Amino acid sequence: MKRTEKKPWGMIFLFIGPVTLFYVAFIIYPLIQTVLNGFLEIYPGITGLRIQFVGLKNFKLLLEDEIFHKAVINTLIWATVGPALEMLVATFLALIVYFKVPWSSFYRVAWFSPMLVTGVIVGLIFKWVFNADWGLVNTLLRTIGLGALAINWLGNLHTPLWVVIVVHFWNTFGYSFVILLAGLSAVPEEVKESASLDGATRWTLCTKILLPIIFPVFSTTLMLSFLGKMRAFHVVWVLTEGGPMHASETVATYIQKRAFQWGTLDLGYPSAIAVVWFIVVIVGVHFIQQWVRKKVEQYA
Amino acid sequence: MRRVFVKGLLTIFLMIFTLAVIFPFLWMIMLSFKDNASILANPYGLPTSPQWENFVKLFADPQIRFHRYIWNTVVVTLSAITLTVTLSSLGGYGFGRKRYAFRYREWIFGILLFSLMLPMQATYIPQFMLMSTYNLLNTRLALVLLYTAYQITVSTYLLKTYYSQLPEELEESARIDGAGDFTIFLRIMMPLTKPILTSVILLNFLHNWNELLLAITIVTDPALRTLPVAMMNFVGESASNYAMAAAAIVVGMIPILLLYILFADRFVKGLTAGAVKG
Repeated sequence: MKRTEKKPWGMIFLFIGPVTLFYVAFIIYPLIQTVLNGFLEIYPGITGLRIQFVGLKNFKLLLEDEIFHKAVINTLIWATVGPALEMLVATFLALIVYFKVPWSSFYRVAWFSPMLVTGVIVGLIFKWVFNADWGLVNTLLRTIGLGALAINWLGNLHTPLWVVIVVHFWNTFGYSFVILLAGLSAVPEEVKESASLDGATRWTLCTKILLPIIFPVFSTTLMLSFLGKMRAFHVVWVLTEGGPMHASETVATYIQKRAFQWGTLDLGYPSAIAVVWFIVVIVGVHFIQQWVRKKVEQYA
Repeated sequence: MRRVFVKGLLTIFLMIFTLAVIFPFLWMIMLSFKDNASILANPYGLPTSPQWENFVKLFADPQIRFHRYIWNTVVVTLSAITLTVTLSSLGGYGFGRKRYAFRYREWIFGILLFSLMLPMQATYIPQFMLMSTYNLLNTRLALVLLYTAYQITVSTYLLKTYYSQLPEELEESARIDGAGDFTIFLRIMMPLTKPILTSVILLNFLHNWNELLLAITIVTDPALRTLPVAMMNFVGESASNYAMAAAAIVVGMIPILLLYILFADRFVKGLTAGAVKG
């Protein structure tokens, strides 16, 4: 006799229900709302919100908004340079620790530690590190006789974005590093041994064997790094608030300013920015995935 | 000979790099033990006689009373963790076990995972409006709900993966003994997830303890400020008092560093679990 068990629907709802409902109420519903808000003008009035449908007006304004363009360029520079730098350094460091150079376990802890101090504290500390008069960077430059290079890093129109990129790198490279290291540690020991029996040098071992094996981990790390830069807020906000003169404005800081700081009080326009940005993020992720797929096929 | 040279060069490079990585911490700790006059005289000298004054003032000064913000952060962080762990343990079990599979389960889980790509900026304006509608602006509850919302995805994902790897027999034998589904979950299965649960809690702690964007948007009442917001304001307001600012920064770092020292492996496992398996 075929045993047909009734589906325990009550239990399914008990287990899956709460998290799903919570997610729909606080993430999916707001997301849909953001998309709709992009077509509206929303002003908080005396008798609640005053809402007006304005069609594509917000999106048209975006095309002419020079600050928005600046923010997009800055964020894209960051989301390209940042992950590239991070992957390069993190891969190198992970290999260093993987091959157990002296002091490895100390390095591992030290390199990971900035990851624990996110956002606000990082911003505050590095405001001092890059202080023009007595900051660490300028003091060092003066000590080694390069005083001419000791500029006001956060107070001009060219360097603030690069300072933000470097500081965020300091904050997050440890994350990429530990993920890659975990990936390397999962490679079976025999692979390493048989390669060295075949007389492979370390360099060929790394480039021809280890990196292709951990490529899936590598691509996940790259993706996480990219997503991290596209939405980073804390560090920029504390370090520069996007300034001076929007020199380090990012999309995240600009949305915050338009929504809550400028006193324009219109929540429609920043929503339109968020919609466009979300689409850009999805497209970016898609391209990275495509690239990864191609690479994986190459290696396979 | 060449090998020795390369090795030496590499060691020097790694030492300098590592020093650059940890120096900001050491510098902050040094500053926090000095008084303002000696900081202005020489920001890089070691403190001649360590001063605890800054830390005392941070809590005792009626104008500052830093512990209020620590308390706010502790309440928000722990409440959000409790809620997240409850929701994602239930969810992880429901999504992870064969017994509860149904036609659209993977589909629903896929939608849940979708938010890993979502920048916070894509949702936080309506979340602000939502909280405003229900009169929850300037409450800790609003932060608890939203922190949970942002953290349940990754938490549920990690727990689901873990639950789905536990053997079927555990459930079967308990069921033969007459235990109900919920008892099995609570008494037998959930205790087995302790390792990954520790990682989930640490991950959540890290996020909630440091969060800024929602904290400045939802809470404007100074009395309810969380630590990151308070620190930002405090350092801004006492712009010329570097000693106090450094002390505040050190106090803000301590809890996370302590947890890291205690649970270093779990921290790393929690952060890498999703990425390496996925």
